[in-house]
Amino acid sequence: MKQYSDLEYLRLSKGQRFLYKLMAFFMAIPRAIGHFFLNIGVYIKKAAQGVANECKDIVTTFTQGDWKTKTSFVIMGFGNLARGQILRGLLFLLFEVVFIFYMVFTGGYWMSMLPSLGKVGPTSEYNAVLDTYVTAYNDNSFKILLYGVLTIFFIVAFIYTWRVNVEQNKLAEQALRSGKKLKSDKDDLRSMVDEQFYKTLLALPMTGILVFTVMPIVFMVLVAFTNYDGAHNGFSNNLFSWVGLDNFNTLLSWTGGNGGGQSYSATFGEILTWTLIWAFLATFTNYFLGMFVAMMINKKGIRLKKMWRTVLVMTVAIPQFISLLYVSKMFARNGLINLSLLDLGLIKQPLPFWEDPTWARVSVIIINIWVGIPYLMLITTGILMNIPADLYESARIDGANAWQQYRKITLPYMLFITGPYLLTSFTGNMNNFNVIYLLTGGAPTNPAASGAAGSVGYTDLLITWLFKITTGAESQYYLASVVGIMVFVVVAFISLVVYNVLPSIKNEEDYQ
Amino acid sequence: MNEKRHMGLRTLNRVSNTSIYVILTIISVIWLLPFVFITLQSFRVESTYQVGYVIPKQWGLQNYINLWNSDFKRWYINTFIIALASAVLITIIQLCMSYTLSRFRFKMRGPLMRFMLILGMFPGMLTMIILYRVLSDLGLTQANAVPGLILVGVASSGMGYYVSKGFFDTIPKSLDEAARVDGATRFQVLCKIILPLSKPIVIYTILTAFMGPWGDFVFARYVAFGTSAGYNVAVGMYSWLTNDQIARMYTTFCAGGVIVAVPVTILFLCLQKYYVEGVTGGAVKG
Amino acid sequence: MKKFLAILMALAMVLSMGTFASASSELAGEYDVTIWAPDAAVALTTSQVEAFNANNEFGITINATVEPVSEADAATNMITDVSAGGDLYFFAQDQLSRLIQAGALTKLGQGAAAFVKDNNSAGSTLAAQSGSDYYAYPLTADNGYFMYYDKSVIPEEDIDSLEKLVADCEAAGKNFSFELENAWYNAGFFFGVGCHSDWITDNDGNFISIDDDFNSEKGLIAAKGLYSIVSSPCYVNSSNTDFASGSAVVVTGTWNYATILEQLGDNFGVADLPSFTVDGQEYHIGSYSGCKLLGVKPQEDAVKGAALNQLAQYLTGQECQTQRAADPDQGGLGWGPSNKAALEDPACSNPALVALSEQNAYAIPQPNIHGSWWDIAKVITTDIKASDGSDEALMAALQKYDDSIAAVFEMTDEVRNAFTVIGTVAGTNWDADLPMTADGDVWTSNEAFEMEAGTEFKCRQGKAWDVAYPADNFVVDAAGTYYVQLDAASGEVSLVPAE
Repeated sequence: MKQYSDLEYLRLSKGQRFLYKLMAFFMAIPRAIGHFFLNIGVYIKKAAQGVANECKDIVTTFTQGDWKTKTSFVIMGFGNLARGQILRGLLFLLFEVVFIFYMVFTGGYWMSMLPSLGKVGPTSEYNAVLDTYVTAYNDNSFKILLYGVLTIFFIVAFIYTWRVNVEQNKLAEQALRSGKKLKSDKDDLRSMVDEQFYKTLLALPMTGILVFTVMPIVFMVLVAFTNYDGAHNGFSNNLFSWVGLDNFNTLLSWTGGNGGGQSYSATFGEILTWTLIWAFLATFTNYFLGMFVAMMINKKGIRLKKMWRTVLVMTVAIPQFISLLYVSKMFARNGLINLSLLDLGLIKQPLPFWEDPTWARVSVIIINIWVGIPYLMLITTGILMNIPADLYESARIDGANAWQQYRKITLPYMLFITGPYLLTSFTGNMNNFNVIYLLTGGAPTNPAASGAAGSVGYTDLLITWLFKITTGAESQYYLASVVGIMVFVVVAFISLVVYNVLPSIKNEEDYQ
Repeated sequence: MNEKRHMGLRTLNRVSNTSIYVILTIISVIWLLPFVFITLQSFRVESTYQVGYVIPKQWGLQNYINLWNSDFKRWYINTFIIALASAVLITIIQLCMSYTLSRFRFKMRGPLMRFMLILGMFPGMLTMIILYRVLSDLGLTQANAVPGLILVGVASSGMGYYVSKGFFDTIPKSLDEAARVDGATRFQVLCKIILPLSKPIVIYTILTAFMGPWGDFVFARYVAFGTSAGYNVAVGMYSWLTNDQIARMYTTFCAGGVIVAVPVTILFLCLQKYYVEGVTGGAVKG
Repeated sequence: MKKFLAILMALAMVLSMGTFASASSELAGEYDVTIWAPDAAVALTTSQVEAFNANNEFGITINATVEPVSEADAATNMITDVSAGGDLYFFAQDQLSRLIQAGALTKLGQGAAAFVKDNNSAGSTLAAQSGSDYYAYPLTADNGYFMYYDKSVIPEEDIDSLEKLVADCEAAGKNFSFELENAWYNAGFFFGVGCHSDWITDNDGNFISIDDDFNSEKGLIAAKGLYSIVSSPCYVNSSNTDFASGSAVVVTGTWNYATILEQLGDNFGVADLPSFTVDGQEYHIGSYSGCKLLGVKPQEDAVKGAALNQLAQYLTGQECQTQRAADPDQGGLGWGPSNKAALEDPACSNPALVALSEQNAYAIPQPNIHGSWWDIAKVITTDIKASDGSDEALMAALQKYDDSIAAVFEMTDEVRNAFTVIGTVAGTNWDADLPMTADGDVWTSNEAFEMEAGTEFKCRQGKAWDVAYPADNFVVDAAGTYYVQLDAASGEVSLVPAE
């Protein structure tokens, strides 16, 4: 690819610049990967150095510290307490006590079971007197993995806190040595609503995210390396265990294994292609048609603006499971649409909205327009009104017609402002479970791709496929997990590309 | 010459305005029809299954009476509680989050935002199973699904800070700084200066948080499985459209749809102004 | 000390005598029980449990919570979390294996198994069985399908011929609803020509293999029959109550009886399935006859487990089944009984149940079926519908089906033909197949193994023992690192030292 100098680059048109950047991004990938591997040594060295420095610092703190500091190495918060920072000291101490209790009473057990994920499955014994089988449940792989992960989180948090505790002693000693006063409890409390206010504000939301988003994701990523499925549910039938990269092999290998005689990788490829096509069409049809509707309503001289808007906005308000389920039934073979067309004699055969692959795909895209336009109409209305009117005025004086005005002013302005929105909307559509699940449930069935992993349809997105794998006949959680990781990789890659190519995303400070 | 051209433009204008009215009318009809159909069918009493006509042959309230006699009341109350609690708690969490990320500059801010961006790329569907187990260990599933659903919804809501952060970004920082110079703490700045200016985004957040639970379906079904007392409206009503029930329950489903949609829609239309401001002020900034 | 021992022994004797003397009185007590029943059956089940509380001889009192959970969703719900699932639950029989595998069904004791065997029809007994063990109590034997039709469109004399029915529908511009893109329905064509499809399970609910001849000469006849209906413009893939929306024939089961009766009024007609004609020969369309079963969740408390089994036996006994069989307007559900005594009760028959029993002459009792079979077999219809109806195209559809079920056991042709090394090689102990790669007839192991003297192994084909060389185990003479080589033509096994 030809490298442009700055001057040459500036001479390019917008479209050419875009293409240039796109090309440049892809051309840079091999070099970036190469760079990464070449530098692995450097990274490791840096990391090792970092750890070494920390250790050295800890050791010097210990050797040079007074007895208060030294005691704090074992009894956390002792230094704070001894130096009059009661609140901090108590918090450290409390954390340590809780940690030790937890590790002794449960944490140790979970950690020791983590490598095997459990040893004894449930057993069943016949009680001849009562003529009944009695079940005894033993190890629970699921809980071991769950609490094992939690325990690791807890240990990491403990090590970090311990390090902070050591650091604080060092800083306190330094401060006292140079004759400064330490912060009192009152200062600490005050700073919690002032300089450190952000920590107070973030504490609750971040705890929630850590426990209910991060931890489950870590867990599910780990599941991809186990054989957790309906036949190994880890508790009531068989325990599950680590299987290494087997599941990735299953998904990525090009030979059979899926029932329809088609490999998982081919099925994955087919669904991914449709997912991308869907996301692209769903995003841009909505975008342009929504903008078009907004422009019509905003046009000078159009009356009842508020009424038009209200009518459209109602669809945003009504829960999708009602509207989409209803619409799905309307378009069914014996639904309202087909029956009335038949009655009017406009068609002789019912239209195969949900039966023919192409029809079904077009139908979901069109119905998605019905869902999406009102929202886009709202978004674009606000931005359209913000475009400075004098831009249009001067364009009109220059003799530009409506189409030219749209191309030269409206569209560039809109694209610039809504660039980030388009990206999130694209990835959102890739994972648009509701529309597909409620409208078609993935139908019609794709014979080639269906089989042992459940029935796969022509309108299935990766996300609905994932749902089917999880809840299907075999409940292959491990496979769902692998697919989920692949979805992540795809979405992350697309975001990375767009992030590098679109100008308006990069610098958030521009808006402030 | 000039005059003529002007005349032409004006006619053109009139023609295009007429066609715009035609298009808008058609669009409005398309957008409204399904809801009109649902409403009409909810009053049909001569049969309970799907039929090929829209206007009932016999009108009546039987479907609404059926609703009253079913577990629908319970589901409705459940959903309402979840929606109300979510509206309060999610709003607090999201405002904390977005205000912090908009106003403070601290060392971990960049990595934190990037981290959450990456987290958001994992399909949430996957975590359903594990969240169920966590809730089940806390005793918050099945009959106790309501607090469980609130907990999960609220706990992960911090991730959706984008919209309100976008809004806060538009409030000039110079306001904060002036107050800080006058000796106000950060907390006072938030309460006295920022919040009064943020009415649209607060209402927007409350509104979206309130509306979400009415359509929550997949996870709610998973958490409340097999226990009618823990269902929300979406889970309960979905079972009416399964093959073994649709013939008996189709019109009841329509009636339920009306009961669910009407209050939410009215609330939405009343607060529409703020919703629009929120969407345009925050959503597009990302 | 001696005294103490004596007391202890006396105590033990009293206790053990108690246990043997009356198992029944031990069951007396209150039990909190969750029962999952389909929405329509909730009220009836609640009153039946009350009747059990009032009348049982054991002094059992059940505090039941009856939740509406469709018998079609029972497995999906139980698998979500067995420990939180219903203690007793209604389920459709095709979920039996999934449920056993999930550890959601308790095995029946000898007495309970005898109860099932003695009181229920043969087909329903089979449905509750995996291997030689019983896992559930039959509730109904009515899970089959037959034909409802509109008498104003279909003349009485045409109901025995598929071709005439299709012609009548086409002539009247009406639809023929038959959910053939669903394996439960399309299999009827294959059973009609004498094909069979049986899955073989072991006692733990695991599938071992399949015995199936859909892909055969007979299967081709069935495929032609299928083509004759799915290629018609009147065909609709549906088993809903479609009469209001333009159908003149609907193939479905007893559960739609009341709705259809209301829809058709005087024009209501019901009959067994018709015959189709291929090459001048008539074949009556077969069907699956299936059951609903009542499952008991494994219990950690033996006494509660025994009490639940008693309740289950009452709920599936003659009295309760007769109550369920009554017409809906008489407080029943119209469910056809599986209980032999209830079957003979004239109170248990409405026109739909009569049609069902006529169809049952051509029905195959639905055995235990691997969950993925439904997804694989339904594709036959999809493929046939998309084809041009030629013999080649129909055979291709059947071949694909055959390949797909083979793949369920991950037996692609490639795997089936490949040789592997198995033995005390590389730390394994006759429990792992080590892959080999072929070069013509000569197969070589993918890696070289360090082997002690005395190491034993064989090379086998398709991970099975049908073809394995050498006949007696190969024994290594001298320790070393070797590749294993096999000449598949001669069956000769040799070691090739690694460099």
